[in-house]
Amino acid sequence: MSRLCALPSFVALALVVSAPAFAQTQELENPGVTAAVQDRPYRLLHELDLWFGVLPLDAFYTGIYAQVGYVYHFTDRFAWQVGRGAYGLAARSSLRGELERNFGVQPTANDEVQFFVGSDVMWKPFYGKLAVMNRAVIHGEIHLLAGATLFRFTNSGFRPGINIGGGGRIFVNKYVSFRLDITHNVVLPTGGGTTSFGNVLTVNLALALNFGGND
Amino acid sequence: MLRLLACATTLAAALSHAQQPAAKPADPVTGEAPAEATPAPAPAADGGVAAAAAMGGGSTGTGAAPVAAPPPPPKKIDPKLFDDALNDYFAGNPKAAAPKLFDYTENVPSTDENYAWAQFFLARSLIELKLHHAGAVYLSRIARERTNPQVLTRALEELQQLTDRPHDEAMIDEQVFGALDLGFLSEDVAGYAHYQQGLVDLRVGNERWATTHFSKLPEGSTEASRAKYAMLVTRLKQARKDLPKEMVDQFFELAKDEKLTREARNDAMLAVARLRYEAGDFPGALEAYNLVKLGPLEPGRAALYLEEAWTRYQLGQVHAAMGLLTTLDAPSFREEFLPDKFLLKALIYRDLCHYLPAKRSAKELTRRYAESLDAVRERDDLTRDPRLLRAASARGSTQRARKFLESLELEGEQLGRYAGTFGERMFGYMTRVYDLARAEAVRVYQRRLQESVRVEADKLLRAAEQVRLMEYEVGLKLYERVKKGSKLVALIEEEALKSNQVSFKFADEYWNDELRTYRFSLKSRCIEETAR
Repeated sequence: MSRLCALPSFVALALVVSAPAFAQTQELENPGVTAAVQDRPYRLLHELDLWFGVLPLDAFYTGIYAQVGYVYHFTDRFAWQVGRGAYGLAARSSLRGELERNFGVQPTANDEVQFFVGSDVMWKPFYGKLAVMNRAVIHGEIHLLAGATLFRFTNSGFRPGINIGGGGRIFVNKYVSFRLDITHNVVLPTGGGTTSFGNVLTVNLALALNFGGND
Repeated sequence: MLRLLACATTLAAALSHAQQPAAKPADPVTGEAPAEATPAPAPAADGGVAAAAAMGGGSTGTGAAPVAAPPPPPKKIDPKLFDDALNDYFAGNPKAAAPKLFDYTENVPSTDENYAWAQFFLARSLIELKLHHAGAVYLSRIARERTNPQVLTRALEELQQLTDRPHDEAMIDEQVFGALDLGFLSEDVAGYAHYQQGLVDLRVGNERWATTHFSKLPEGSTEASRAKYAMLVTRLKQARKDLPKEMVDQFFELAKDEKLTREARNDAMLAVARLRYEAGDFPGALEAYNLVKLGPLEPGRAALYLEEAWTRYQLGQVHAAMGLLTTLDAPSFREEFLPDKFLLKALIYRDLCHYLPAKRSAKELTRRYAESLDAVRERDDLTRDPRLLRAASARGSTQRARKFLESLELEGEQLGRYAGTFGERMFGYMTRVYDLARAEAVRVYQRRLQESVRVEADKLLRAAEQVRLMEYEVGLKLYERVKKGSKLVALIEEEALKSNQVSFKFADEYWNDELRTYRFSLKSRCIEETAR
């Protein structure tokens, strides 16, 4: 009985002891590290973005907006989205129509995002390439965003918010790339007499025009 | 003396030809008498095939000459047939034109005013049907028969174009251009003929005669550049020691000559790199290697990478050299015959005092090439060893012979598609042309293969010998005493990553765009020699 109990311990011990030995053997047989060191084919400096986006979170409407923005890239890893400004239109949902028709809810009762401006910092820790059907290689990066946004709502007026998000970029060539960003904005309970936090999710796709990065 | 004899033979042939101007040559392939039964001596064999057959087994070694079928009775030909065929040809229908032109050439005397033209357009039709060798056979026949000077010039131009692809070197280069009377030719064709005749002279060691031919080439022409290259290569082969310094510059100049083919320019640049390497100018060699223009996965790349790795090793850039050796393990290059690769890897590990990996790399050579080494030791037929065979047939004249053989096989298959269109007689004739050409091509390929496979085997044996020495040396080092107070030698500085660079750690997955960029990192474990 005691032998049976000891067996798993022996196995575990053997595994623990043999792991470093195995690693050492590997190191002895194949010493050294090999890496492919390449020049980045696409580098960014000034970036002008033309965005198209949606605000999908509100059940009573879907906001559709256009946005322009400018980003300055300090390094390959860090950038500042200096400014972005968007103007949106609301596409009211069927739920909203139903409420107005059947329950007498006023059309002005809902607060909708009219436009917003903001600024973010960008951290770009991921850079890589993808093989497309073993025929081509495309380069891209993934970035994280944090910033502040000032919203203009139809009812409550101007309200500030803080946002975090992330996105990805696929390079087409040295001058053109596509970006897809998703950010979550927490709208602060200030202005317009509101007392609760608001949430605005933005999903947007951009055509990014890059200048000066590869010079 | 040889030249005089050749002239005499040519003169005699020309005289005999002149005495019987109306004679139509015997069928070059089957040896049939011409349709009109004129008693005519057959001039040089068509396509080199019948010539080889006529010379007997010693020449062809194939014994593949088919039994001649009884000649069909002469057929009366409507002169309009030629016009019909031309109409078909110019209407873009070579498939319909070819059998008519064949019929015409087979049934009119060679004195017929359209005979040579019919042969020419038959050749063109066949070339357009992708039967290049058959086309070349007819063009060569025009070049030898010389019944119509106008057609002759055009036929030679066509033949010259055909030399850009795999072709019968004996039939076109040697028997047509190598034996041409040069007086009547246009400048372009004469230039090419001079070049070919010069090459023939160079091959047999008559550099003075070759120079005479090459001096007649127009300055700045493609042939002049090619001739310069051929002369330099010959001198390089002859020079045993003390290579003239200006030879590097001459090769370098040629490597930039746009009139040469890319392959020749690359060869010239490789010659520059190798000469500089031999002279100990390693940075110069590296510069020349970088100027060789090859696609990233082209077959010549592997050898280039290995030579560059050796150069970097000589420069003390062992990490960069090892990076290049990693590249050579990529699937695209893994099967390349590069026994030196393992030797260099072992040397690098040894220099960094990693003796076990050094020993293992050295052993890898004997393990990887065990079958080939056994074949050499057992005195087997080396052409049966797949590695040696692949290496031997990938270079030089053996590669050309292999490519020609492959093209013949491809065209032979292509010919089958026209069995119905060509008719029984023409199809049978073409089949015999291809069968004989193939038999001769196989013989030439096998002969060249025997020679080049021996060269590759020598290379392998030399590398195996070096590896044994390395194993012995590493074995001694493994058991060397480390003295008290020993310190590690100063580390070789590895290049830091620049801000615009990105590093992808290698994890046994090769990306084509990374092949040239591998960097190896390994700390030296060597002990200072001065330690006590």
